[in-house]
Parts: sequence; C-alpha cells; structure tokens
Amino acid sequence: MNVAVSNNGRRWLWVMFWVLVVFLYAPLVILLIFSFNDRELVSFPWEGFTLRWYQTFLDNAEILGSLRVSLMVAAITAVITTVLAIPASIALVRRRFFAKGLVSGVMLAPLVIPLVVLGTALLILFNAIGIPFSPLTIAIGHIVIALPFAILTLVPRLERIPASLEEASRDLGAGWLTTFRQITWPLMLPAIFSAFLLSFVISFDEVVIASFVAGDEVTFPVYLYSQLRLPRRLPQVIAVAVVILFISAIIVIVSEVLRRVTDRKLESETTVHEEEVATA
Amino acid sequence: MATDSATADPSTEVAPGAETPVRRRRGRWRATSGLLATPTIWLIVFFVVPVVMVGLYSTGVITLLRNDDYLSLEHWRFFLTSDTYLSLFWKSVRMSLGVSITSVLLAYPVAYLLALIAGTRKYTLLLVIIVPFLTSYLLRVLAWRVILGEQGVVNSFLQTVGLTDQPVEWLFYSQFAIYAVLAYVWVPFVALPIFVSLENLDHHLLEASSDLGASRLRTFWTVTLPLSLPGVVAGFIFVFIPTLGEYITPQLVGGPGGFMFGSAIQSAFTAGLDWQFGSAMAMFLIFAVAVLLVVFGRFLNVRSVAE
Repeated sequence: MNVAVSNNGRRWLWVMFWVLVVFLYAPLVILLIFSFNDRELVSFPWEGFTLRWYQTFLDNAEILGSLRVSLMVAAITAVITTVLAIPASIALVRRRFFAKGLVSGVMLAPLVIPLVVLGTALLILFNAIGIPFSPLTIAIGHIVIALPFAILTLVPRLERIPASLEEASRDLGAGWLTTFRQITWPLMLPAIFSAFLLSFVISFDEVVIASFVAGDEVTFPVYLYSQLRLPRRLPQVIAVAVVILFISAIIVIVSEVLRRVTDRKLESETTVHEEEVATA
Repeated sequence: MATDSATADPSTEVAPGAETPVRRRRGRWRATSGLLATPTIWLIVFFVVPVVMVGLYSTGVITLLRNDDYLSLEHWRFFLTSDTYLSLFWKSVRMSLGVSITSVLLAYPVAYLLALIAGTRKYTLLLVIIVPFLTSYLLRVLAWRVILGEQGVVNSFLQTVGLTDQPVEWLFYSQFAIYAVLAYVWVPFVALPIFVSLENLDHHLLEASSDLGASRLRTFWTVTLPLSLPGVVAGFIFVFIPTLGEYITPQLVGGPGGFMFGSAIQSAFTAGLDWQFGSAMAMFLIFAVAVLLVVFGRFLNVRSVAE
C-alpha cells in the first residue's frame, strides 16, 4: 500500500499536475500562435498566417538597439557576478571566519529586497556621487540581485566536491592557484556555467531596476514595457518576445540537463577516488 | 565538512620553522579575506550603503533636489498620517497575501505529487514546471494581457462566436486579473522549496504513521504537512516580499485599480519628483520586510530555492 496517496488521490494529483502545466504553457503557446496572425490587433478573428511581424522587427532600429544594450548589460552582469560568486562560495563552504552568519546574510539579502526599493536606492546613490546613468549602472544593480542566485548555484556543487582532493593537491606541493586551476575550477565548471547563464537570464529579463537607472540607452524589457501602452506596435514586439522566450527556454533546459549529467558524473568519479584512497 | 585543512596536518610542512602557527593563522585569515573582499565590498557599496542612503534621504540628512527639505521628518509625518498612502500599503499587503496563498495552494499538490509519488521522472517533471519561471517575466505578463484584454483573445473570441456583444469586463482591468497573473508568475517558484522539503522528508515516518493505524489523511495532517512547513513558509515569503513592491503587473493588467504601493513609490521618483516622500515609503517597505523576516526568518532555508 502506498502511504502517501490512494489510487484515486493519485489520479487527481496527476490531473492537477497536467492542468497546471496547461495553465503555465497555454499563454505562451497563444502568444506564439498570435505572433503569426495577419492582423494589426493581437486578437481574433484569425486573418491568415504571416511572417511580417518577424520581418518588421528586424527593420526596427529601436528594438534592435535595445536588444544590443540588453545583451551587453547581461554579459557584463554574468561575467562580474560569476567572478564575485566563485570566491564568495569557496569562502562560505571551505572557510571558517568571524561573523560568517552576518556575511552570508548580507550576501543573500538581495533575495528579499523589493526591486522597487533597490531601484530607488541605486537612483539616489548614483545621483549623490554623480555617476551618470548608462548600461553600466544597470549592470551594477543587476549584479547585486544576481549574486545570491549565483552563490546558491555554486555552493551545493562545492559541497559535493570532497575537500580531500584540494588537500591532496596542497600536500603534493601545489600552491593555492595551481590547486584552484587544476582541481577546484574543473570540478566546479558545470556549476560555474549554470551560475553564469542564470545571472545572464536574470539580467536580460530585469525591468524594474533597469527603468530606474537607465540613461538614454534602454534595455529591451524597459523598451517593451514602454511599448505595451501602444497596441499598434504590439504585434512586432510580440514577435521579438516569442523569439526571446524560446531562446531563453532552450538555454535554461540545456544548462539544467548539463548540470544533472555532470553532477551524476562527479558523484561516480569522487566515489571511485575515495575507494582508491581507501584501498591504498 | 573539513575547513581549510590544507595546512592543518603538521606532517605536510615541507620546511619546518618557516611557518609558525601564528603566521600560518594570519596567512589563512588573509586568504579568507581575499576571497571575501570583492563580493562583500560590492554588496556594501551597491546594496547596503544605498539602502541606508534611502533612510538618510527620507529624513533630509542627504538632499539632492532643489526643493528637498533639509533635516525634516515632514515626509514621514505626512506618510504615516495619510489615509491614502497607508491604505495603498494595505492594498499591496492584501494583494501579496492573496497571491502568495493562491500560489502555495496551487503549487503544494503538484510538489507533493512530484516529490512523493512521481518516482524517477520527478526531476524532469519539475523542470517542466520551472522552465516558464526562468523565461521572461514581462513576456508572461504580456501574454496574459493579450489573452484577457478588452480586445484580447478571450473577449474577441467570445464576440466573434457571438456569445457576448460587449467585452466581459471582469476579465481585464480587475483585481481578478492581477491576482491570476501574479499567481501564474509565481507558482513555479513556490513549487521549488515545497518540493525540496517534501523530498527530504524521511519516508519511514510516513510508513510508521501508517503502521500505527493512521489513515492517509491523518498521516498527511499530522506528519507530512508539518514537516513540509519550512518549504511552504519559504515559498510564501519569497512570493510575499517581492509582491509587496510590485507595480508592473498591476499596472499592465489591473487598469485604474492597479495602482499599488509600489506604483506610489515609483511615481514619486518619476512623475511626482518627490524623492523624499518616495524614500520614506521605500524605507517603510524595508521595515515591513524586516519585520516579516524577523518573524518568519527561522523557517527560511534559503538553500531550498537553489536546489
């Protein structure tokens, strides 16, 4: 007998699961379908299949410009966030230090700040010290909110890498840099890759902070947000939206599958190592 | 988990005398602070300091605009005695409560199914649920606007087939639309911590409960649910807090009734150019969040969100 659920209950839970999946995906599918509707308004009736919204967005300099800014901001965010998150997670997992609770609290605190508050706070900071708004100021804010997510991606992986591997390397005379390059970095690499992609996606999608500290060059979400009030532009904006939606979904799925595969590999490899050590 | 034991074993010292314990400890401390320095400084400069500055700005310790009041609690007094703005705050609290509760209720059965029943497919199915969350937030809200709007898919469909001749009003620009869309946005995120807490549950406890004669329902109420509560609280809080400051979705799908506390803060900084008043409201929001974290903080296992 299954103690968690009866046969009837199981059937109902599966129904709920698939209802939720439909609830989650139906709007996206509808968006996709209507991006091909040959009509100025995104609504019924269906007036035929067209690719013209996809063509017009390729001619729209504003959209392309905002996409370029978004890509740049997301790339800067992903690089700096990853570079900051690696040492932070190593310290949190491998080291004991004074006020560790406080330090990890500060590092995770951006998870629980309403973005409108962080946006206003950065607006005041940049104004007070006289930094002009630019894609760089957007990236600065995005790094703050992406950092806890990157750290939380790296920490579990690092915990699964036995510290004995690094110790062995140090015992054999390698310095910390060599140890990091030869041992820690390659073993962490899948998680580093996930952290990088996650930071990229978070930045690419973020609209609140970006709208507070953007200069003349706005990111794509900020542009999209400003266009939503003009229904006539909607069809071509939706065409871009659909393209981005699919690209980001693919990135997320690929990185997640990769992470699973390499995690399993790490587990089997390190168990072998431990057995070898035990028999030696 | 062993910590920095690279130099802990005395037999590893190649050159005796070169490293005294004191110097070694100092070196280790230096290495640790080297690791922590850049991320900590980044967060202090671009997170802690700005938030403190919001507080200073709201009381006029710092002023930036020409008509800012120097050293004044006037904006706080105005905010705390104003029915309009306080009721906006409570409106946002109601919205956050409604959205968090709805998301938890929608996510719990599915997390339960995946963690305890689905077996080996559970991670794949969990990914199916989570992928929409990691795709664009704005686009998902936009999708609902396209569906629910006055000339949206549902209304234009109903009119095309002749079921109504007027757009169905409660679908768009309503509190219903705000709650539905925000719950839609957050469900995958809430499912995650609940799934993790249910998955870490010791299954023997369920069997023990059943062996002792408890029905499934009773086992659920007295064993499973209490043990999964940390996940529920984590999911609840991680929806509740960002939703408190939410203004984008309400504005896009809520119409005139979509003006929230977050909208008031945002417009004080953009349209109203009353930064000090905006700062007072932003600071108030931070206090509200801090109170929540103090009350529920011990249930929070942040890690559950990352797994």
